[in-house]
Amino acid sequence: MSAANAHHAQGALPPEPEKATLEGRNKILGFWLFLGGESVLFGSLFATFIALRHQVLDGPTADQLFDLKLVALATFLLLTSSLTSVFAVQAMHRHDLKNVQLWLGATVLLGLAFLALEIYEFVHYVHMGHAFSTSAFSSAFYTLVGFHGAHVVFGIVWISLVMAQMVRKGLTVVTAPKVYVTAIYWHFVDLVWVFIFTVVYLMGKVG
Amino acid sequence: MVTEHGNPATDDQVKRGHAHEGPKNHVLAFALSIALTAFAFLAVYYSHVLETWFVLTFIMLLAVIQAAIQAVFWMHLKDRGHLMQRIFLACGALVSAMAAVMAVYWVWW
Repeated sequence: MSAANAHHAQGALPPEPEKATLEGRNKILGFWLFLGGESVLFGSLFATFIALRHQVLDGPTADQLFDLKLVALATFLLLTSSLTSVFAVQAMHRHDLKNVQLWLGATVLLGLAFLALEIYEFVHYVHMGHAFSTSAFSSAFYTLVGFHGAHVVFGIVWISLVMAQMVRKGLTVVTAPKVYVTAIYWHFVDLVWVFIFTVVYLMGKVG
Repeated sequence: MVTEHGNPATDDQVKRGHAHEGPKNHVLAFALSIALTAFAFLAVYYSHVLETWFVLTFIMLLAVIQAAIQAVFWMHLKDRGHLMQRIFLACGALVSAMAAVMAVYWVWW
């Protein structure tokens, strides 16, 4: 409460600071339009992967490659990071900057752990003879899963920068929409992963 | 959503229509996501005794349900004033679904 009181003393931060200004509201709406476009981008990559997933040429098949224990661990890490990022938004609604930073920090760490697993996985696959240009399946696989991984990298950098800015500027009607929008972005990245572990890994094992 | 902690700040928000939700819904969404993920992995683990079409349909259905839960709770689509957000995401999902159907039924025919 002390942090909240301090902000109130400076001129009352409203209950939902991310929506307090027109700029904040427009940022959120514009970001959702971007996410609609992102859905189409990932939808196209998924469609390409589904069409080409059995075209393995001489390379390894999905069933030979994938280790579901590793995928389950990666899924758990990313799901948990989605929960920690919504906790950051809830702390932001309580004007509790310390906990916003704490939960965003947890999100970044979980994202880094997920990324480490994915890099290990890709290196392992290349050693198994599953390079980007091995087959239509491998190209579609690395494009789809790699694009998602790139989104995780971008999210980690973005959230870290928002955290750094809040160290200097605190929680204001300018920084609050950034916290909210990064959290929405991170949930979207997790939501895409739900379809990746289902369509790429689980369907790859079933056939 | 009803506030879970009774401090004056949150009570004030309730009066002004800014109901301040506790972590309960989000923890529930997390538990459901974990459970749906576990069911999908289990179905694949036992896929040698199940029909392939059943496993594929079942895990796709679980993925759609899980994605919907996360969009509604974690991405706040259930909250007031999210009509445009719902339209944007629904349009994205519609185009994605059409692309997937195209890939499954048209590419190799």
